[in-house]
This record gives sequence, C-alpha cells and structure tokens, in this order.
Amino acid sequence: MMHWRTRQKLVKGALGAVTVLFLAYQWLPMLVMALLSFTGPDGGPTFPMRGVSLHWYRELLRVQMVDDFKPPMLRSLLLALACSVTTAALSLAAVQAMRARFRASGLFFYLILLGVMAPGLLVGFGVAVVARILGIQLAWYTTTFAVHVVWTLPFGFLTLLAVFNRFDRRLEEAALTLRANRWTTFWRVTFPLVLPGVIGAGLFGFTLSYDEFARSLFSTGAEQTLPLVIFAQFDRQLQPTLYAIGTATTVVSLVTIMCFSLLFRMVRRRTRTGAPGAA
Amino acid sequence: MSTLRQRSPVSYALAMPAALWMLGALVVPTLFIVWVSFWASRSFSLGSPLALINYAKFFQRPAYVKVLLDTFQQTLILMAITLVLGYCIAYFAVVQVRRPHWKLGLFLVLVIPFWTSALIRTIAWIPFLGVTGVINQALLFLGVVGQPVGAFLYSRTGITLAQVSFYTLLATGPVVYVLRNIPVSLREAAQCLGATPARVFWRITVPLTLPGVVIGQILVFLNVMADFATASAIGGNKHAYLGNIVVLLYDSGQLPFASVMAVLLMLCMLGGVAVLLKVVDIRRLGIP
Amino acid sequence: MSKGAEHTDRDLELRDVTKRFGTFVAVHRVSLTVERGQFVCLLGPSGCGKTTTLRIVAGLEDADEGEVWISGVRANDTPPWKRDIAMMFQDFALFPHMTVRKQVGFGLEMLGRPKEEIRRRVPETLATFEIDALAERKPDTLSGGQKQRVALARALITEPRILLLDEPIGSLDFSLREAVMLELKNVQRRLRISFIWVTHDQNEAFSLGDKVVVMNHARIEQVGSPEVIFERPRTRFVASFIQGNNVFDGVVESVQDGRVRVQTPVGGFVVPVRETESPLKGAGVSFSVRAELLTERPGPEHVNRVPATCRAVEYLGSVRRYDLRLPDGRSVKLEQFAASPTRIDEGEQVTLGWRVEDGVLHAGADQIR
Repeated sequence: MMHWRTRQKLVKGALGAVTVLFLAYQWLPMLVMALLSFTGPDGGPTFPMRGVSLHWYRELLRVQMVDDFKPPMLRSLLLALACSVTTAALSLAAVQAMRARFRASGLFFYLILLGVMAPGLLVGFGVAVVARILGIQLAWYTTTFAVHVVWTLPFGFLTLLAVFNRFDRRLEEAALTLRANRWTTFWRVTFPLVLPGVIGAGLFGFTLSYDEFARSLFSTGAEQTLPLVIFAQFDRQLQPTLYAIGTATTVVSLVTIMCFSLLFRMVRRRTRTGAPGAA
Repeated sequence: MSTLRQRSPVSYALAMPAALWMLGALVVPTLFIVWVSFWASRSFSLGSPLALINYAKFFQRPAYVKVLLDTFQQTLILMAITLVLGYCIAYFAVVQVRRPHWKLGLFLVLVIPFWTSALIRTIAWIPFLGVTGVINQALLFLGVVGQPVGAFLYSRTGITLAQVSFYTLLATGPVVYVLRNIPVSLREAAQCLGATPARVFWRITVPLTLPGVVIGQILVFLNVMADFATASAIGGNKHAYLGNIVVLLYDSGQLPFASVMAVLLMLCMLGGVAVLLKVVDIRRLGIP
Repeated sequence: MSKGAEHTDRDLELRDVTKRFGTFVAVHRVSLTVERGQFVCLLGPSGCGKTTTLRIVAGLEDADEGEVWISGVRANDTPPWKRDIAMMFQDFALFPHMTVRKQVGFGLEMLGRPKEEIRRRVPETLATFEIDALAERKPDTLSGGQKQRVALARALITEPRILLLDEPIGSLDFSLREAVMLELKNVQRRLRISFIWVTHDQNEAFSLGDKVVVMNHARIEQVGSPEVIFERPRTRFVASFIQGNNVFDGVVESVQDGRVRVQTPVGGFVVPVRETESPLKGAGVSFSVRAELLTERPGPEHVNRVPATCRAVEYLGSVRRYDLRLPDGRSVKLEQFAASPTRIDEGEQVTLGWRVEDGVLHAGADQIR
C-alpha cells in the first residue's frame, strides 16, 4: 500500500500536468500562428518556414491592403467604442435599479442574462429577419450595434453587480446623514468608488464587440466590420498575411486590455488614497 | 439602503433602457423567427399563410435529421471532455495551488486567450492540424507515425480538438467560483471524522460543487450546439451542424426553412438547459 | 524520557515537536503530555503556535521535527483519518448539504460501521445532545448554539481518544458562552475523553483546564494547573499575559539566604529565589506581584514598599480595582474587596507594600538554570 503522502503528491502532480498541458494546448496554436507570420516571402501558410522576415507584415501595409482593411478596422473600432460606452451606461443604470429591488427585478435579472445564453447565430439571424420584415436596412452602426450590445450588456451587468456587492452602503448612508441628497450622494460618493467596475464593464463592451464575428455575420450590411473581412479573406485563400493580421490584432487586443487594466488600477488607487498623484 | 428608495419609480426608469434593449433586440427577433418558421412558403414573402409545412420538410429529410443528431452528438462529446478536463483544472488551480502569486499567474495565463479574438484563435488551428502542420510534424519527429495523419484537419477530430481548446474554460470557470466558496475546514473536518481523501472528494467536494459543474455544462452545451464557425473553418465544407445549415439557408434566401432550423435549435437548447437545471437548483448559487 | 517507552495510559505525547512554514517557525521544540481523560488548555496570544500545535496533533499539519505519540503509538506518519481523534472547528465546519442526522452519522459511516448500528446510535446521540428535533434540518437553518451541539455530537459519536477544540466558543454570543463551557466540561468529565482546547481567553482556560499550557512565539512558557500559573507565573511573558499581575524589571543587587535584592527604577525590593534557580549578581531579572496582594496600608511585614499616585478607580461589583502610577510613570494595579473599609481617592498619594513571599521571581535568559 502506497504511503498516503506519496499518493497525495501523485494526484497533485497529475492534475498539475493536465493543467499545464492544457495551457500549452490553448496557447500553442496562437504562438504557432505568430511564428508563421514571420515566414519568408516564399513561405506558405504552413511549415516549413522559408526564412524569417517581416514580409507579410509589409504586405499588410501595401496600399491595396490598407484600403481593404482600414475602413473595416475603423468601423470595428468605432463600433467597439460605442458598445463600450453604451454597455457601461446601461449596466450602471440597470444595477442601480436592481439595488432598489423593484417588483419584477428577478425577471429583469434573467432577461439580461438571456443575452449570454442566446447564441450569436440566433440573435444575428433574428435581427436580420426583423430588419427584413420591417424594411430596415442592415448596417454596422444600427443593427450590428444593437446585436453587439445584447451580448456585452450581461457581462457588464454581472461585473457591476459583483462590484456593488462589495460596496459598503454605509458610505452612502453617511453621506445622506450629512445632508447630501440622493443625486449628489450617487455622483460624489457611490460613482467614484464603483468607477473601476464601470471601467471594467466598458472594457468588456469594447473587447467583446471588437472581436465579435458570429453576431455580426447576419446583421451587418454591405460595409463590413474587421472580423467579417478577415473571415472572407480566409475563405478565399490562406496566406501568411492572414497570420500577420491575426497576430497584429491579437497584440492590439492585449495592449488595449493592459491599458484598461492600468487605468483600472490607477483609478482604484486614487479613490483609495485620496490625494491626487499619491503613490 | 442605496441611494434609491426601495421600489421607487426612478428605479423603473433606470431599468427601462436595458430592458427595452434586450426586449427589442433579443426577445422580439426570437418571436419573429418563430413566426417566420410557420410561413408556408419557400422564400421571403410577407403575406404567407401559416402552416407546419416547413417543419414537415425538415423531419422528412433524413439528411437534416442527421444534422440534428450530429449536432447533439458533438455537443455531448464536448460536454463529457470539458467536464473532466474543466474539473481537473479548477481543482488544481483552487485547491492544490497554495501560493497566491502562482494562483494569479495561472489564472491570467488561462484567461488571456479569451481576451483575443475567437476568430483568430479558430484560424490559428489550421496550420496546427494540417498535413504539414505542427501536430503531424511532432508525431513524425517522435516516430509515433510513419506518415502524416490527414485525419486532423477537415475532420470531426479536428473540430473537437479545437472546440475543447475554446470551451473548456467555460466549464472551469463556474467550478472555480463554487470551489472557492467551500471553506478548507469542511474538508479537514471530514478528514478528522475518518474520511480518506477519496471519500472527502466524493462525499463532500463533489456534492458541494455540483451547481458550478452544471452551470459550466450548460454554458458548454449552449455554445457547442450553436457553434458553426469552428465547423466551417476547420471542418471545411465536409461537416455541417445545425448552425451551418442555418447560415447556408439564409444565404440562399430560404428564410422560412432557416427559421425552422433556428427554432429547432432554440428548442433543443431550452430543453437541454431545463434538463440540466433539474439536476441542481440554480438558486442555491446565491444569485440575487 | 527513555526511548521506546510506550505509555498507553497517556492519550498524547509530543516530543520536541517543531514546525516551520518557510523561514517562519510556528512551533519550536514543544513537548507535552496529556494523561488519560485530562482537560488541557493551550493558552496564548494569536500567532503563538497553539493552533498549529493542535493541527499537528490532528495530523492536518506534519511536524518537521519531533514525535507525536497517540495512545502509546507513534503517529507521525498516520494520516488524520486514521488517528483516534476528532476535532471541533471555530466555524463549526458543518456540511451544508447534509441534514443533521446525516452529519452526525457521517463519522460512523467512515468507520465502516454496519447500517443497523448507525440507524440505532444516531438517534440516541441526537437525544443525548438534545438535538433530536433538528434531525432533518440543514445547517444553514440552525442557530449558533445548535450548530455547536451538532458539531459536538458529530465529533463524539465516533468515541475518539482525544477531542481537539479550536476556539470552539469564540463565535458564540457572550451570554451563551458560560453555559456552553459548563456543558462541555460536564461532557468531558462524563466521557473521560481527553480534551485539548485552544484559546486566547484566560478565563476559559482557567475555568476548564486541569492543565494549562501557556505558549508564546512558538514556545511553551509554562505548564501547570490554573492555580500554579495564576500564583506563580514562571516567565515574564506569563506574568504579563495573565491579567492582574504587576511586573517589575530590574537588576540583581545581591543574593542572600534564598532571597534576591532587585534594584529597579522605582526602588529596591526583596524577592524569594525560585526553587531551582539562583541568579547571578548583576543579571537582569523581572518579578511580579499579584494586584490583590498589594496593600495601601503597609504594616511591618510588608517589607517591599513603593510610593504611588492613584489615577483611576474601577468598581467591579465585589472588587475595587485601582490604577496607580509609580514615580517612573509606569502603572500598577491594586485590587481591594469592596467591603474593605479603606479607600483610595483619585489623585491621592499612597505607599504600596507587599510581603517578600508575595513576589514571584521569573525565570529568564540571564540566569543559570
């Protein structure tokens, strides 16, 4: 009979191995793609790599490419920004409403959660059908925007819900006893303290929208967003340029998130320590 | 007490925008889809009478029913894999890893891929799976196979491999959340009462984490049932699931039939969720 | 202690147990014996190592050095589920998904007892602890006191040799604590199981323990009955930790006839030598005097005297406690029965005195043992 300590160690080792292997499993394709994006001019979409160069990145910058990709990218960015702001505002209002525990707030909660459960395919398709019936034109800034927010709102909502759960309402009560009315209390006391959560909701809105593909597929009109253009390209032919785009957008995503996180931490620290510019 | 009085009218006003948005962009379109599915016509015509003809068309064609069953089968496979894999990872990350720095690092490394585009991650699997791809080169190098295996790309195996990579964390997340709420003293109390580690796991940990497992499985279920991007990107045009058919039909203008697919997909999803929720009462998770 | 001696009449024996977490030493060379059916209290401030010691006995932590003997058998390599112990946790650690009946029966199930036995004994135990009405309830519907009884029933139904308790009444309402303490003491006496009770509250430790172990910074400072700890604190820490001691620091001036003259900032005092030690001249020492042994009207036998000014008076019902200030600014406490005829007013200057034999010299690092 194996000593029980040994058995414990074996189990831990096995689980650790599984986790690490899974991590590799998750990261490898992306790393491979990033690697392949640096293949030489003669290189194809798979191994072996023929030389190492920035050729395909330079290809991206070719005039025609830029024309192909720049407008969609701008559209995606604008859409993501709009989504970000809308998500932050709507979820803040929604969570604040939830705190008042109005009648049907349970139903309201599940209504919002529905946005996570409904797959992009169905939502996009549904909006396309409605637009067709009502004679509305499909466009990225109307129908796609609506569909994106449906997806991002629940995430922002849950984030803010969690933030408010940790929020000490006695701070608001103190403000109220100090003769501040509810409006002032909210903006001067509550809002600054939950701002990190609001930024988080906005972050969700941005990143989820920027990359969103399935929902956009049906609801976008002639002017496409970036992921759709990439998909179309991909359908046509697989070239290292695609890898270059893929790697580039991934890096952009990561950098955006890091910036947001830093902003998040800065705001949090400032509201905790008070004095502007305090360490 | 918050800055709003309980049940004040202002709260209704605040909830309105979000509610209207969800109703207008989600609920109403769904209702429209159901309506269109009953249209007795082949393509888009507003004045169509309502009949079950398109539903009959679906069930009469064995090819379409097969697609439905295939979708289910794929979903069940993914659910099984992500259940085990997801639980192992969650258990390791929460229980086995002690030091908080390692925990945070692990968490970040697991989650960061999700911050990148799903589409890009899907595309990244192509060079991985292909005949000249990384997996085959590794297998050849290690001498496991003599020739490259063509079975990865454009096959169900390839699709499954990619999907596992995308969706396992959906199964892991809720389990992590629930696991963290179980105090260590519960496991220790059980040990002091004579329970071996295996018994502590099956009698204490598993029952208490069951809600998290079910939520995770629901999320995986929903995502895989409706997944079409992975199938089309990695499966080529050889494999179709319900999602792919909907896209196909939409593109060819057969809106009523596409709506039938969509409705069937929705029904399957609702049914699946209902079944899974029977296993555990979701309210015990403490959702307000 | 002879190696290999197996004292099966001892429930527990710890020999030089040491435990480290990284570079932090949580328990340092702790040795302890618990005789059959003894009530032992581990007393000390937070972080002193008492809980870690308890967990080592349970098997939830491994000792880095030293030996753990339970019922005369070396238990270092025995996992918690094989040790003849049961444990009560501060948060009760009741299983949220099990009814009270299932919880209480859990231990018997783990022991592999036949179903009929479990079915018979669980209701009996529930009745003994007066929780039979709660049998089908789940833990989240129970009050603190009820949870406590369920945790106790769950632990004791397995008839362990030792019951380990980690600050078990800390989370109960104040009014409940006294009653629960008495109940637990009765249970212990009835069942004649050893209890090892960890607490930072000296009242608990003194009223419950047959033996009190005072710990500080991973070490044992003193082991003894409550009376001994109370009347003759061994070290400066014990004296200051136990309430009601006045501690003086000074330097040895001379040693003569079993008495030490200690020079302190507020004067010289005579203190009896401890039985086994003889301090060196010039060594730094400390001693203490109990607050109730000081008097504000010193007679000829109260050789040690010091002037003091009264700063505050506390009325504690049957006792008056004075807070006085010494010439060097330090404070000193004096306790007086309320029935005592003389009183000290705030601001009044008095001379305090005590007899030589009332002083307790502390063992310290400077002295020869």
